Amino acid sequence: MADRPIPPTPAPLAPQPLTKDALRALALAQGLALSEADLDGLLPLVQATRAMIDDLWAAPLADVEPTAQFRML
Amino acid sequence: MTELVWTPMTELARLVATKVVSPVEVVQAHLDRIARLDDKVRAYITVMGDSALQAARAAEASVMAREDLGPLHGVPVGLKDLYCTKGVRTTAGSRLLGDYVPDADATVVTRLAAAGAIVLGKLNMHEFAYGPEGLNVHYGTSWNPWDPGTHRISGGSSSGSGAAVAAGMCPGALGSDTGGSIRIPSSLCGLTGIKPTYGRVSRAGAIPPAWSLDHVGPMCRSAADCALMLRAMAGYDPRDPSTSVLPVPDYGAGLTGEVKGLRIGLLRRFFLATAGAPQRQAVEQAVKTLEGLGASVREVTLEQMTYGAGASAAIICAESYAYHEEWLRTRGPEYGPDVRERLLVGAFVTGADYLRGQRARRLIRDEVDRVLGSLDVLIAPTLPIAAVPVGTREVEIDGRMHPVRPSLVRYTRPFNVSGQPVASVPCGFTPDGLPIGMQVIGRSFDEATVLRVADAYQRVTDWHARRPPLGA
Repeated sequence: MADRPIPPTPAPLAPQPLTKDALRALALAQGLALSEADLDGLLPLVQATRAMIDDLWAAPLADVEPTAQFRML
Repeated sequence: MTELVWTPMTELARLVATKVVSPVEVVQAHLDRIARLDDKVRAYITVMGDSALQAARAAEASVMAREDLGPLHGVPVGLKDLYCTKGVRTTAGSRLLGDYVPDADATVVTRLAAAGAIVLGKLNMHEFAYGPEGLNVHYGTSWNPWDPGTHRISGGSSSGSGAAVAAGMCPGALGSDTGGSIRIPSSLCGLTGIKPTYGRVSRAGAIPPAWSLDHVGPMCRSAADCALMLRAMAGYDPRDPSTSVLPVPDYGAGLTGEVKGLRIGLLRRFFLATAGAPQRQAVEQAVKTLEGLGASVREVTLEQMTYGAGASAAIICAESYAYHEEWLRTRGPEYGPDVRERLLVGAFVTGADYLRGQRARRLIRDEVDRVLGSLDVLIAPTLPIAAVPVGTREVEIDGRMHPVRPSLVRYTRPFNVSGQPVASVPCGFTPDGLPIGMQVIGRSFDEATVLRVADAYQRVTDWHARRPPLGA
């Protein structure tokens, strides 16, 4: 069997800024019917929250498992 | 009768047990004060006057019959309105649950009743405990008793618990703490409150903001009263799989007043260094007081705190959205606008985000455990600011403006992520007469040391004993 060429790996995409249209589409996919006013209010909140969560990319998590069941003892 | 509403829970229990006062007198004194003040304070969503008096008469009969009495026999308490109460509506501060009448008590309610406590009513809160200010568009926003002239926040989400205990409308209350909701109102209202270790107190029958971050605990006017309430509430519960089987110590017996030789870590970076000047000075003075009592103090840093906000956001947004998802689709307009909007944020947090938060959580928890390996407690301010007027969005700290909401949770939420026990203890007042609190953070399941430090401090200071001007 002849070797098949390995397709080139696509260059990684930089995350795109979250827009109102993207938010609307994501909400609809989850069955959330949001008004234009809802989306206007929600967009900066989602952006701010995502920015906080994205800070976790800098955390040294390589060998760290999640506290999937958070039980102290 | 007026003094009964300012009598500590430990003393009320003794006075009732020795027949110096009747539980009926105690309960009536509190109901009278609620009737006089609560139109303004709005601490209660539901006052249970009839059932409280009925329970008080039964408690009086038990005393007269020389029956065995529980440690809280005849002592009134208030319950944040997210604890289920059999036959009494439990709203979680929301219109969605305006008619919800549970058919069983939360485990903590059962345990407090078994200890002899009498429930005065259900306390106001930020809707679904989803906010640190204590705002509530459905039942009104509680008024901080420390400023009768300006409507200031009492802090959330346990806003009614903070306002009621501070105003003498109950001597102790149940709060709950997902990002600071026991410690924030305790600090803003001049109270002592403890968020126990995750797993120390059952969450069964408590309506959750976020299962893995929620902590159940007492809010009182002293560490001694917190010790009394906590012992009655704590311990393993088969209804809550996260509860620990570790035995519950007699916290009251551990309040020796001794802190000599205790090793204290002062958290400056991320905490004290970013607090307002009055908070900084009050906490530094408190640490000197503890040093004067024989404790040793050194400064320590928790490097992983950098990730506290991100971990907390990922976890709380995902868990809260998971709980509310169906209602947000079908009953959205019934939420208050601010709570609905913030709950919806969780729809845009992915599974990978959530797990990244839970992984960062392990880093944070392990670091706090490691630092506490060579120290007995850590100390930090509870908040960088004091109570702001309702509606304030930004506040000045050392000449720079900061948004109020993140400022309220900045120092508290990392310890919901890490899970160790933390008390907020009054340690001073601003020049405007508003209370300041400090956090005492202990090792997992070592609430006893946290309470011992708080109590020792309260034996030589009187910040916790001062009364607010409202209704004086």
